[in-house]
Amino acid sequence: MASKVSLKVKGKAKAGKGPKSKEQSTCELVKEWTTWAMKKTKVITHYGFIPLVILIGMNSEPKPHLYQLLSPV
Amino acid sequence: MGSSVSLAAAPPPPVAPPPALPVGLAQVLPQKAEEKGDGKAAPEKVDWLDLPCPVPYEELQREALMSLKPELFEGLRFDFMKMLNQRFALSHSVYMGSMEVPSQSSDVIKVPSSHYEFGANFLDPKLMLIGRVLTDGRMNARVKCDLTDNLALKIHAQLTNEPHFSQGMFQFDYKGKDYRSQFQIGNNAFYGANYIQSVSPHLSLGGEIFWIGHQRKSGVGFAARYNTDKMTVTGYFDQVATAQVASTGIVGLSYVQKVSEKVSLASDFMYNQMSRDVTSTFGYDYILRQCRLRGKIDTNGVVGALLEERLNMGVTLLLSAEIDHGKKDYKFGFGLTVGE
Repeated sequence: MASKVSLKVKGKAKAGKGPKSKEQSTCELVKEWTTWAMKKTKVITHYGFIPLVILIGMNSEPKPHLYQLLSPV
Repeated sequence: MGSSVSLAAAPPPPVAPPPALPVGLAQVLPQKAEEKGDGKAAPEKVDWLDLPCPVPYEELQREALMSLKPELFEGLRFDFMKMLNQRFALSHSVYMGSMEVPSQSSDVIKVPSSHYEFGANFLDPKLMLIGRVLTDGRMNARVKCDLTDNLALKIHAQLTNEPHFSQGMFQFDYKGKDYRSQFQIGNNAFYGANYIQSVSPHLSLGGEIFWIGHQRKSGVGFAARYNTDKMTVTGYFDQVATAQVASTGIVGLSYVQKVSEKVSLASDFMYNQMSRDVTSTFGYDYILRQCRLRGKIDTNGVVGALLEERLNMGVTLLLSAEIDHGKKDYKFGFGLTVGE
């Protein structure tokens, strides 16, 4: 869905402007891709960082048991 | 330092305070070390080519901040840290109290709030991962990775569910033989760099620059730190320039004296150029066997203290008090920490 949106914008930009459009749209494309990548990274980090830490921790030596993760003792 | 009983044949040239000329002195110093054979312990030979690595730039004032800015809180605080492993730990933290809402008027507005925070820590010598998530969806993540012996990467992110309120920062630290440099990239087009260098076994000087793109702010700062076993003196000078507003600056000085193994006293002075405000703080830090007591008093009329008492193996009681006589704001808190 995001890629469809970016193609649409690219089409519009080309139609609207003159011969400079190619350079500008590359620049805009790069900006859009970085913004899209940062947004996705932010969501992934928000939901996935703590599970990642727990995963790495549970696989480190000596391996703790699963019940130790949940019990308060 | 230059006056000593000269038993050797050739007396050294008088070098009472060592000047900052490493080349000339390096030839002279070996003779000086042989000279000082009197009763007291021989002072260390200063090898100007082998100075110690300075503290990181952001920790320049760490002794002063430990005494003068203890983590005072209001309300109830309960922290539980459970070690599953030598390296892996989970932490649960409950807080119930009032949070202060910044207001324009001189009134203090407090909003009662409470949250539960879950965290996971993984500490390896080379990799450190710390994540904390709160009940309102805010997440705090820290990563510290040693890419090589000298180069370290630190990432700090504070993510929220609200758009445009999240912050992230990447820091690349390079540690040289007697210097440290750091380069930072953050969101809102924040770029910063700082550098600190040891110029003598006790003195280190550093500077930093930063640029915030979105607010068109840029800043320059210089700092110096003189450190011995017994005391630390630091000074800093920051200038921030904004596009529309005239530049502002902050000048600060701090002095920490370690009176004994258990007691240290600290004082701090800060001048804010924009608001022409001067603040001075005096504080103490008592590290005793069973407890740690830190207190401070301010020229703004703020008195604060924090007591951390180790009751038992792994259980610590926290008592915090902060009284602001100027704004008539009183904050008292108590808490318990179980685990480390």
